[in-house]
Amino acid sequence: MLTIDNLHVDVENKEVLKGINLNIPDNEVHTLFGPNGSGKSVLISTLMGYPEYKITQGEIIFNNQKINDLSIDERVKLGLGVSEQRPPTIKGVKLKNLIELLVPGILGDEVFKRNMIDHYDMSKFLERNINDGLSGGEMKKSELFLVLITKPEFLILDEPDSGVDPEHMIMIGSMINETLLKERCEPMVRNSGLIATHSAAILNYIHTDKAHVLLDGKIHCSGNPAIMMDQIRKNGYSYCIKCQNNLMEDQL
Amino acid sequence: MKTRTNTEISVKSVSSNDINMDLSIFNDIEEDQPKIDSIDELKEDEINSLQSVGINLNDNSEAGKFFMYGTSIFTFLPQIDGVEIIPLKKAFVIYPEIKDKYHFKAIDENQDEFTQTAFKKEQNGYFIRVRKNVIVNEPLHTALFMHREMSTMCIHNIVVLEEGAHLHLITGCTSGCTIKGGLHIAISEHFVGKGAKLINTMIHNWGTDFVVRPRTATIVDDDGTYISNYYSVKPPKHIQTDPFTHLSGKNASAKYMTVLASFPGTYCDIGGTVLMDGENSGAELVARAVNHGGQVIQTGLLIGAAKETRAHVDCSGLMLNDNGIIEAIPGLRAMHPDARMSHEAAIGRIDIGEVNYLQSKGLNEMQAIALIIRGFLDVGIEVEGLGSEMAEIINEIAELSGHGE
Repeated sequence: MLTIDNLHVDVENKEVLKGINLNIPDNEVHTLFGPNGSGKSVLISTLMGYPEYKITQGEIIFNNQKINDLSIDERVKLGLGVSEQRPPTIKGVKLKNLIELLVPGILGDEVFKRNMIDHYDMSKFLERNINDGLSGGEMKKSELFLVLITKPEFLILDEPDSGVDPEHMIMIGSMINETLLKERCEPMVRNSGLIATHSAAILNYIHTDKAHVLLDGKIHCSGNPAIMMDQIRKNGYSYCIKCQNNLMEDQL
Repeated sequence: MKTRTNTEISVKSVSSNDINMDLSIFNDIEEDQPKIDSIDELKEDEINSLQSVGINLNDNSEAGKFFMYGTSIFTFLPQIDGVEIIPLKKAFVIYPEIKDKYHFKAIDENQDEFTQTAFKKEQNGYFIRVRKNVIVNEPLHTALFMHREMSTMCIHNIVVLEEGAHLHLITGCTSGCTIKGGLHIAISEHFVGKGAKLINTMIHNWGTDFVVRPRTATIVDDDGTYISNYYSVKPPKHIQTDPFTHLSGKNASAKYMTVLASFPGTYCDIGGTVLMDGENSGAELVARAVNHGGQVIQTGLLIGAAKETRAHVDCSGLMLNDNGIIEAIPGLRAMHPDARMSHEAAIGRIDIGEVNYLQSKGLNEMQAIALIIRGFLDVGIEVEGLGSEMAEIINEIAELSGHGE
């Protein structure tokens, strides 16, 4: 599904990602751990094609297609969908205006749109400017709603649990699971995804298949998400630098 | 981005005093000779031009219509008691007293060469009067159409709302789409009575070589309201206007909203001045411009000269081209210690982060830019009487801007 091969990325002429290798197959959701400033958001923005993130070396392959040079919306058309950590407020642009543009173009299904708005209780946000004055939980909800209506094949979530209270966390978890669901009759067949988190709170609501720790622009170790999170909580990210990744891989 | 040299950059204002306009290239004002006898003689492109400024001559509006094609005048009589639409010269014959009462009473005939010309030539236009307590629920459309290349159209309009009357006037000014240039002079005097409310929406769509000089003044009595909406889809080569409103009565209010798109080779100096010398009167002026490379001057001067007056002016511009100029001059003048006044102004490019974000949700770049511009032009205040035609015009400006990036 998604393969990242030796990815080096510069931001404002400074190398931030220093040779990332990652493979996320069909039907798998991976977690990306890492402390603040480790490069998680840079990796996500690079996957989405944000122009200020310059790939200096390496490849991003999605569904057997190299996407290094595709524009952001071309990547979305291929099936990538993103929920940002800190989405911008756009003055004057109401959420409903964006939804009206997205739904006819992508789905052409007014009934689906209406049902989704009702199901996720989004009516009260439709007349508001995009992300304007929303709480942390409301902002994540709005982001996930926009992802849900575009039905991506591959879901990228940047810190979906940051700034979210416990009540909203349940709903956010439910919305993510809904987005990952491919066929209602086959709950074990899921869309793929990558979830970046440093608190791991969201993992109480979502099953992920594998976790990776990103430190200083490199993947230092990979393994079972629950075990890795336990280690991080006990020892901090420094445990990863001690090269425990090989041991953990052997134990799995 | 192209960098401008020092010699290209001037610290002088780009106000109209620095622009030398040779107006002698335009033909004299047309004589009163009808050019068409029926609106059925309009060509298809002329009908399309009228529709571009929100005018459809064939719908049966109860409020009536007024259409001036060069010097040919067509009046569609209102079907509402207490509403009159009459060619101005004819109105002076029917009601001789109105000339002394209203003609050049809001505007000084010696304000400039254009008002002097209109005064000397006693130009025609429309006289609209809404009688006491008559509420006109649907907009009254007027259209001023220039059909001859390099001609001069000079008109004089007077609108009177008696006590308690309400009217939304929509005026479209345009030319045939094959006409490139001309001089359009329009004198408009509005008199808003006690408790009356006038919404004056002006929509312009011009050829590339037009020069336009609207001269507008409004006097608002106690508890009266004046709302001015100005939309320019395609600006002329040069337009300068500074509509003046005198809030003479207690609790009177005025709102101006100006929305325009500017293109290379065009100069738009669109201002607004409101004198508040009625106690507890208020004024708000909002200007929005998207600039593709022309020169835009956004001026606003709100003068608080009485107790408890309040005013806010907000000028904002989006630069979509490296070579354009936007100069925002929000002005406040307090002449009474109780005046409360504020202003804001912002000019900048479209935030590329916002464009990227919208693309990440599935819009292409042009859709994203158009959506942001539409949001920028949607000023967030209640624009009363803004119908579907106006929303279409904002959409058109936004779409043009999206394609221009």
